[in-house]
Amino acid sequence: MNAAIIFVLLILLMLTGMPISIALGMTVLTFLFTMTTVPIESVALKLFTGIEKFEIMAIPFFILAGNFLTHGGVARRMINFAASMVGHWHGGLALAGVLACALFAAVSGSSPATVVAIGSIILPALVKQGYPRGFGAGVITTSGALGILIPPSIVMVMYSVSTNTSVGKLFMAGVIPGILLAFFLGLTTWFLAKKKDYPRMPKASWKERFIAFRKSAWGLLLIVIVMGGIYSGKFTPTEAAAVAAIYAFIVAVFVYKDMSLKMVPKVLIDSAAMSAMLLYIITNAVLFSFLMTSENIPQAMAGWILDSGFGMVSFLLVVNLLLLLAGNVMEPSSIVLIMSPILFPVAMKLGIDPVHFGIIMVVNMEVGMCHPPVGLNLYVASGITKMGISELTVAVLPWLMTMIGFLLLVTYVPALSTWLPNLIYN
Amino acid sequence: MKLLDHLEEYFIAVLMAAATLITFTAVVHRYLSGIDIPVIQDALIKINMSWAQELTIYLFVWMAKFGAAYGVRSGIHVGVDVLVNRLSEKNKKVFILMSLGAGAIFTGVVGTLGANFVWGMAHTDQTSSDLEMPMWIVYLAIPLGSYLMSFRFMQVAWHYVRTGDLPKHDHSHVEGLDVEEAVEAAQEGALQPKTAAGDKL
Amino acid sequence: QNPIIIKFSHVVAADTPKGKAAERFKELAEKATKGRVKVELYPNSTLYKDKEELEALQLGAVQMLAPSLAKFGPLGVKEFEVFDLPYIFPNRDVLHRVTEGPVGASLMGKLEAKGITGLAFWDNGFKVMSSNVPMKVPADLRAKKMRIQSSKVLDAQMRALGANPQVMAFSEVYQALQTGVVDGTENPPSNLYTQKMHEVQKHVTITNHGYLGYAVIVNKKFWDGLPADIRTELTNAMKQSTQYANAIAQIENDNALDAVKKSGKTTVYSLTDKERAEWVKTLTPVQKEMEGRIGKDLIQSVNKEAAALGFK
Ligand code: NA
Ligand code: NA
Repeated sequence: MNAAIIFVLLILLMLTGMPISIALGMTVLTFLFTMTTVPIESVALKLFTGIEKFEIMAIPFFILAGNFLTHGGVARRMINFAASMVGHWHGGLALAGVLACALFAAVSGSSPATVVAIGSIILPALVKQGYPRGFGAGVITTSGALGILIPPSIVMVMYSVSTNTSVGKLFMAGVIPGILLAFFLGLTTWFLAKKKDYPRMPKASWKERFIAFRKSAWGLLLIVIVMGGIYSGKFTPTEAAAVAAIYAFIVAVFVYKDMSLKMVPKVLIDSAAMSAMLLYIITNAVLFSFLMTSENIPQAMAGWILDSGFGMVSFLLVVNLLLLLAGNVMEPSSIVLIMSPILFPVAMKLGIDPVHFGIIMVVNMEVGMCHPPVGLNLYVASGITKMGISELTVAVLPWLMTMIGFLLLVTYVPALSTWLPNLIYN
Repeated sequence: MKLLDHLEEYFIAVLMAAATLITFTAVVHRYLSGIDIPVIQDALIKINMSWAQELTIYLFVWMAKFGAAYGVRSGIHVGVDVLVNRLSEKNKKVFILMSLGAGAIFTGVVGTLGANFVWGMAHTDQTSSDLEMPMWIVYLAIPLGSYLMSFRFMQVAWHYVRTGDLPKHDHSHVEGLDVEEAVEAAQEGALQPKTAAGDKL
Repeated sequence: QNPIIIKFSHVVAADTPKGKAAERFKELAEKATKGRVKVELYPNSTLYKDKEELEALQLGAVQMLAPSLAKFGPLGVKEFEVFDLPYIFPNRDVLHRVTEGPVGASLMGKLEAKGITGLAFWDNGFKVMSSNVPMKVPADLRAKKMRIQSSKVLDAQMRALGANPQVMAFSEVYQALQTGVVDGTENPPSNLYTQKMHEVQKHVTITNHGYLGYAVIVNKKFWDGLPADIRTELTNAMKQSTQYANAIAQIENDNALDAVKKSGKTTVYSLTDKERAEWVKTLTPVQKEMEGRIGKDLIQSVNKEAAALGFK
C-alpha cells in the first residue's frame, strides 16, 4: 500500500513538469510529514551525506574534463583522424562520425556531450557533402550514446554509487560492448550508405593518416592516462577524473590553443552548474531510496518477484521493458538512481553478475537517449540540425533497431560484459 | 542583484577549480613520494595530504548546493515536460507556476530543516575527521544553498508571471563552436566528397 | 499494547561476528522481556551509512548502534582514540580489564553529554599488517603507501613506521590494493579474509599492534525513558551478548588466519620475540606523541591496568 502511495505520488509530481529532483524530494517530504515515524530531521542529514562520498566526485571531474575537451579542439582532430582511416569506404564521412564518437566516448563520460562535440562539427560537413540531414543526425544521435558505454562513464559511476559495484570493473566491462556497438552502428551506416550510394572520400595515404593521428594524439593520450592510470594503480577512478580534467585543460589551452584562458571561468561555471544539477538529483534520489528502504519496499518487491517464479531470462526481459519505458520520460541518471535500488536486490538473488547487470542498465539508458519523447541525444541533434523531433525520430530508426538488437545480445550473453573485467581482476 | 548573481557564479567556479587542483596535487604527491629518491622521498612523506579527500568532498558539496541554486536561474534542472507541453497555453502556465511553487516550497522547507540541524550541530563539539573542522560550518551549505535556491525559484516564478519567459538551458548549444565556421573548417580539411559511382575499392 | 521497538542499525553484514552478536541480542532481549520489546535489525548500512549513524542515533531515528570506536573522536570524545594507540593493550586480558573495568565505564560516561548511553564494548580483534613485501621489522614498511581509516592516531602510527599513510574508504580498499594505488593496510584477520584482501596481498605479519572494537550504544533519552524492569532485562541480555560477541570474534579471527594460510595466496609471518620488541619500540612513542589529544592520565590508567597483569 505504502509502495503504491509513494510511486503514484512521485509519478503525479513528475508529470507536472517540475524538476525530477524536486519531485523526488517532495514525495519523500510529503510521506514523512504524514505517514511515518521516521524523524523528519534525518532528511537534512541525508541531504548532506547523500553525496558525501569520494567516489561520487568523479562526476564533476569528468564533466569538467569533457567540457575542456569539447571547447579545446580535441573533437575536430579526432574527426580528421577518423576520416583519414575510414573515409574512403561507403558513407565515409558518416563512418568517420561513428569512429570519432567512439574515440571521443573514450575520453568523455557523457552521451550528450559526445553528440555535441562530434555532431556540431561533422553534421554540417555531412550536409555539405550531400548527405540528407536525417542520415547524419541518425548516425550521430545513436553513436553519441557510446559516450556512456565506452569508459569513462558518468552513468556507470551513478550505478556504482547506488549498488556498491566497483567503478573500475564497470569501466572495464564497458570496453567490449562499446567496441561491438560501434562496429554494429558502423555496419548499419555502411550498409545504408552503400544502398543509397552516398559519397566516399579519397583514400588517405598512410603518411596523411599518420599526420592526422599525430595531431589527434594529445586527445587520444587521455584514453591511456585514464584507463592506464586506473589499472596500473597510479590512481583511483575519481582521481583519474581529476587528472583528466587538468590534462584536458592543458591540452585545450596550451597545446591546441583552441581555447583562450579567458574562456576558463565560463567552462568552470558551466561544468559546476551541470555537476550541481546531477549531484542534486543524486541527493534527492538517495533520500527517495532511503524512504523506500525504511518502508521495506525493495525487500518486499524482491520477495514478490521471486515468489511469482520469475527466472533470470524473464526477469531480464521485464527489466529491459521497464527501463525502456522509463527511458520514454526520464533521463538516465534519474532512472539509474531510482530503479537500481529496486531491481538490483532481485538481480542479485537471481544470481546475475552485478557488473553484467550494470552494463544492461547502461545500454538501456543509451537506447532511451535516442528515442522520443525524452531523449537527450535527440534534443541535442535536433538543436544542431534544426530538424524537428518527429522527423529525427524516423531518421534514427535504422540505428535504433540495431541498438535494440544489440541490447538483447548484451542481456543474454553475459560474457560480453564480464569476460574482460574477470580476465583483468582474477 | 547583479552582484549577487556574479558572486554565485564565481563561487561555484572557484570551488570547482579548487577541488580539481587539490585532488590533482594529492595524486602527484602520492606518486612522487613513492619514488625512491633519498632525502626528497623522506621530505615528501612528511608532508601530510590526508585532508585532501575530505576537503574535495566538502568543496563539491558546497558547489552542489550553490550550483543547484544557480541552476534554477539558468533553467538547467531537467523535468518531465512531455505532458505539460501538450496543454493549452493557459493550463501550461498554471502547471509551470505550480511546479515553480513546489520548488520554492520544497527548498524552503529543506532550508529550514537544515537550519535547525545546523543549530543543533553548533551546540556539539562534532568535527570532521581529517580537517577537524566544526561540522556545523560544513553543514551550513544545506540551509544557505537551499534558501538561495528557494529564492531563485520565487524569482523565476515572478519573472514568468510578468514576462512569460522562463530560463531555458539549451542542452544543444555549444559555446565557442560556430556551426558555419565548423562547416568551413570541414571543407578546408581533408573532408572532400567524392562520388562512389564506379569507384572500386 | 504495542511493543517497544528498538531499531538496531549497523554497517556490516549479518553473518559477521558483530552481525551475529546483534542477532543474539535480539533473541535474548525479546525472550527476556516476553515480547514487550521488539528489536529490528538493519545490517549492511541499509538505513544509515557509516557517517550518518551516530547523528541518526542522536536524533532518535534509530535507538541502538554498534559503531567502531574510531567514530567517537570526531563526535568530540577524543578519549576514545586511546583504543587506536599502537601496543597499548599487550593482550586480550588487559583489554578486557580496561573495557569491563572502571576505565571503560568512565569512557562510556563521557558519551552521556552527547545524548548517548554506552552499554558494552564488543571486540573485533587485534590487527595484523599486510602488504606485498615481507615485513619482519618496521623498516620493511619504509615509504610504503599504507591505507588507514581516517584517524590522527593511525596516521601517526604509520608515520612512526616510516610509511606513507593514505586515508581511504573501506569500500575502495580491495581495488586500491589490487591495482597498487596503496601497497598495504592493517586489519584484524577476519576483515582481511572476508574482504578477500589476502587475494591481493602477498604477505601478512601477525603484529597484533593495534585493536579494533565497537561500542554498543543507545539513545540516552530513549534508554532513560524505558521502564526500569525492561532496562534491567536488556542490560542482562547485553551482558550475555557481549560474552558471545567476544568469543565468536576470537574464533572468527583464528579461523580467518588459518584460512588465509591455507589459501596459499599469502605468506603469514609470526614475529620472533626480538622482532616484536623492535615493533614495540618503534611504535610505543606514538602513545607519548598523542598524549596531548587523548589525555595523559587516561593513557597512564590504561598502562596501569597492564601493569596489574604483569606488563610494564
Ligand atoms: Na565514455
Ligand atoms: Na527516450
